[in-house]
Amino acid sequence: MKIVIPIQLVPDRVEEIVINKEKDGFDLEEIAWILNEFDDHAVEQGIILKEKTGVEVVVVAAGGEKSDEALFTAAAKGADRLIRVNVDFSTEKVNNHALAKIFQTIIMEEKPDLILTGVSNHNGFDGAIGALLAEYLGMPYIGYISGVDIEGMSALVLKDYPGGIKAKMEVALPAVLGISSSEKPPRYVPISKVRQAMKTGSVQEKDGDIDLAGGLIIDRMYEPEVSGRAEILSGSLKDIADRIAEIVKSQGLI
Amino acid sequence: MPHRPDFWGIEPEWMRYFIYGILTLALLVMLIRTFYQARLWWKVGQPEKRFDQPFKRIGRMLNQVFVQQRILSQPYAGIMHALMAWSFFILFLGTPIGIVNAYVFPGFLKGQIFLIFKLIMDLCVIVFLIGAGMAAYRRIVIRPKKLTLERRFGFTLVLLTLIILTGPSIEGARLAVLSIEENITYGSWMPVGWAIAQLFLNSGSTVDTVHLWHTIFYYSHVGLVITLFLTLPVGTMIHVITTPLNVFFSKLQPMGQLSAVQEDSAHNLILADRLKNLTWKQLMDGDACTECGRCQEVCPAYAVGLELNPKKLVLNIRDALHRDGALIIQGTEPSIPLVGGTVTTNVLWECTTCGACIKECPAFVDHISDIVSMRRHLVNEGEVDDMLQTSLANLGRYGNSFGKSGRMRAGWAKELEFEIKDATKEPVEYLWFVGDYASFSPTLTETTIKTAKVLRSAGVDFGILYDTERNAGNDVRRVGEEGLFEVLVEQNSKALQKADFKAIVTTDPHTYNTLKNEYPEEVINGRPILHYSELLDQLIASGKLKFNKKLDLKVTYHDPCYLARYNGVYDAPRRVIHATGCELIEMPRNREHGFCCGAGGGRIYLDEGTMPERPSENRIREGVTLKDVSTFVVACPKDISMFQDAVKTTSLEDKLNVKDLIELVYEAL
Repeated sequence: MKIVIPIQLVPDRVEEIVINKEKDGFDLEEIAWILNEFDDHAVEQGIILKEKTGVEVVVVAAGGEKSDEALFTAAAKGADRLIRVNVDFSTEKVNNHALAKIFQTIIMEEKPDLILTGVSNHNGFDGAIGALLAEYLGMPYIGYISGVDIEGMSALVLKDYPGGIKAKMEVALPAVLGISSSEKPPRYVPISKVRQAMKTGSVQEKDGDIDLAGGLIIDRMYEPEVSGRAEILSGSLKDIADRIAEIVKSQGLI
Repeated sequence: MPHRPDFWGIEPEWMRYFIYGILTLALLVMLIRTFYQARLWWKVGQPEKRFDQPFKRIGRMLNQVFVQQRILSQPYAGIMHALMAWSFFILFLGTPIGIVNAYVFPGFLKGQIFLIFKLIMDLCVIVFLIGAGMAAYRRIVIRPKKLTLERRFGFTLVLLTLIILTGPSIEGARLAVLSIEENITYGSWMPVGWAIAQLFLNSGSTVDTVHLWHTIFYYSHVGLVITLFLTLPVGTMIHVITTPLNVFFSKLQPMGQLSAVQEDSAHNLILADRLKNLTWKQLMDGDACTECGRCQEVCPAYAVGLELNPKKLVLNIRDALHRDGALIIQGTEPSIPLVGGTVTTNVLWECTTCGACIKECPAFVDHISDIVSMRRHLVNEGEVDDMLQTSLANLGRYGNSFGKSGRMRAGWAKELEFEIKDATKEPVEYLWFVGDYASFSPTLTETTIKTAKVLRSAGVDFGILYDTERNAGNDVRRVGEEGLFEVLVEQNSKALQKADFKAIVTTDPHTYNTLKNEYPEEVINGRPILHYSELLDQLIASGKLKFNKKLDLKVTYHDPCYLARYNGVYDAPRRVIHATGCELIEMPRNREHGFCCGAGGGRIYLDEGTMPERPSENRIREGVTLKDVSTFVVACPKDISMFQDAVKTTSLEDKLNVKDLIELVYEAL
C-alpha cells in the first residue's frame, strides 16, 4: 500500500503581500513562501495512516528548493520518500491546473493506492487541486475530510459538512482525498530532527513544466479597501459612558 | 599525672583486638554497602565530565561541608545542623586521636594536653546536645511543612544522641572509679564526665558496680557505633558521604549556562526519557538530597499549589533509581517510565526555571538540569501543548514567539522623532539587543520608546539590529527545544558578527543571561553584556544621565530571576531607583530570595492552565503588604506584562502601580 501526498508552498500571509506592477498578480519576489496549512494536515494524516497500517508515504512538493524544509519536516515525521519538483514560484506564475498536471505525471509513475492533499490553498484561485488531480487521474475525489482509515482496497473517510455535521463514507481505492484537518493536529517536529533528516535524507528531483492552461486569467487585482476605522473612546469615565449610551441609541438598539 | 588510658577496664586484652576487628568489619560493610548503592550512579547514568578544576571544587566542598555557608543561611536549622555537625566531627576525631596516642606517638595525650583535649571533647558533647535538642524540638514541636517527618530521621537523631551520650558516660564511670581509688583532682576538666561521675559517687555504688556500668556503657557505645556504620548507607546519614561528593562535583559554570544535549558514539542524541539517560551526576543528586525541603519552600510553582515540588522531583528520581537501578544494569527496562511515571509531564512544564531551588539547596542539587533534560525529551517527541507548539513554530519561522513578521521587529521605532542607528550598517558604542517582548508586545512598546529616549538624552551612542535580530533563545533553550536554540544562536551570531559595537545592552534579563553565559565566545569577543539597569547606573555615576526632578515616591523593587539570582545584579537597579529620588522599601523576599513572576523558563509560551493563585498574584499580594508603597518597580519587559495582569486579577490596581525602571528614570529627567 502506498500513499502519495502532493504538497505546495503558498504565500505567507504574516508577511506583507504586494500586488505586482501589472496589477495582475502578486509581486512574486516579495512573497515569503510557507507550506499550505491544509497540506500540513494532509501530511499528518498520511503519517497517522503509516503509524496505523505501515503504508509507504511519499511526499511530493512543488516549489523547488524552497520546499525542502517542508519535505524534510515530513521526513522527520516519518515520510519514507521525498520528491521535489523543480519549479520556482518566485519567478514563474503558477495555478492549480498547472500544479495538478505536474503532480499527475509523478503520481502515474508512482502508482499509489491513495492520494492525500490539502483541500484548498490560496495559490492559484482556480479551484481545489485535489478535484483537478482526480479528474486528470480518472479517480474519485472527496474533499473536506477530517479522518481516514484504510480497510482492504477501500478507505473509510469522515467528511465534514457545514454546521459541524459529519458523514462517514466509503471510497474505493485508488482515490484522491482533500484533507481539511488530520485526525490529530499536526505534531511538533523538533528542529534537531529536521536537521537530522536534512543530513541523512535524500530528495528525488524532478523537472516540471508549468502549463497554466485551463486556469483563471486574472485581469486586475485590488488592494483591500480600507473601510470605516474603529473609534477609540477617550475622556473621563462619564464621557465614555455617555458616548456609549449615545451610540447604542443611535443604532436603534434600545 | 592525668593521661589517656587505652581500653581502661576492658578485659581480657584480646578484647581490644576483637573491638578493633569488629569496628573495622562494620566500617568495611559500610563502605561496601555505600559503594554498592553509589555504583548505580555510573552504572546506570550517562558519562559527564565533572573532574575539571579540582582545587576550586575542593575549596567549594570545604566551604560547604565545614564552614557550612549555605546551611547557615537559615538561622534555626543552620545553627542546629552546624552545632551537631561540628561537634560530632570533632568527637569523631577523638577515636583516631586515641589510636595515635596508643600506637603512633604513645602517651602524647598526658598532662595539660590531655586535659585540654578532654575539655574540648566534653564541650563538644554539650554543643551536640544543644543541637540535638533543637532538632528534636523542630521535629516534634515546630514540625515545618517542608520537612520529611518520617521515623528514619528520628532514628538517626536518637542513634547519634545515644552515641554522644554513652561517650561521656564511659568517661564518668571511669572517673568515678579513679576518684575512689586514686582521688583524682582534674575531674572538672571533663565537665560532662565529671557530672556523671558525681552521680555514681553520690549513689554510693561500689567500685565493682561502677565497673559493671562502665563495661555496659562501653559495649553500648561500640554497639551503637557499629549500628551507625551498618545503617549509614541506607539511612539518612548517607548524606555525610554523598552530600560532600555532590558539592565537589557540582556545576562550576555560571548558573545561567545549561549544558548542551549529549550525543552517543553514533551521534544519536541522548535525551532523558529514562533513568539511564540521566547523567551520573543527575542521579547522584538524589542520594545527596537531605530532604531539608528548602527548595520546596521557595518554589513558586509549589507555593501556588501546583503539582511540582522540587524536593519530591529529586526524591522520586532517587527512589526510582534505588528500586530499578539493579534491573537497569542487567539490561531490563523498568516498568515505570521516568517521564510520565516517576515524573509527570505536568511537573516538568510547571517549572519556571527561576533557580530559587538551586540557590537554596545546601547539597547543591541541580533540579533545573533534570527538568530541562526531560523537557528536551518531551519536545523531541512532539509532546508540547498547542500554545507552545505555536510559539515554537513562530520562533522557528519568524524569530519571535508572537508570529509577527520579522520585518516588523523595529516597528516601534517609527514612533520616535529620531532614527535609531542600524548597528549592522554603522559602528555604535552600544548595541541594544531589544528582545521579543519589548519589540512586539503592544503593551510594552511605550516602555521601549522611553528606553530609547532616555538613552538618547544621556548621549549614548547606540544602535539596534533591526530585522536581523531574532529571539535570543534563552527561554527556547529552557523549554527544551535545543535545536531551535542553536538555530537562533546561529542567526543572531551572524547579525552580531556583522555589527560593529563595543558592548551589548538589553532590557530583558532572559536575553541578557543567554548572551552573557551561553553565546559563543567568538561572537561576543569578551565585550561587556549589560542590563539597562547597569548601563543607567554607569551613566548616573559618570554624570551623563542627570535628573531634574526628584520623584519622591515610595517604591518596592522586584528582582527578575535571570538578572538577580542568575547573574548577581542586585545593586545597579536599586542605585538607579535611589537616584530618581524614590525611597525603596524592600519586599520580604528580595535579592537572592526574590519570588518569580511565573513567566520564566518558557512558561510564557505555555498554556498557563488553572492554579489556585498565580505566582505573579502571590508576589503582588506581598507588595501590597508594604506600608505606603505605591509603586511596584520591575526591570524586565515580561514582568510588566505579568504584574500589570496580576494587579488587575487581584483587584489591587488602586493600591499598586506597576512600572518599569525606565519609566521612573524618564519621569525624573
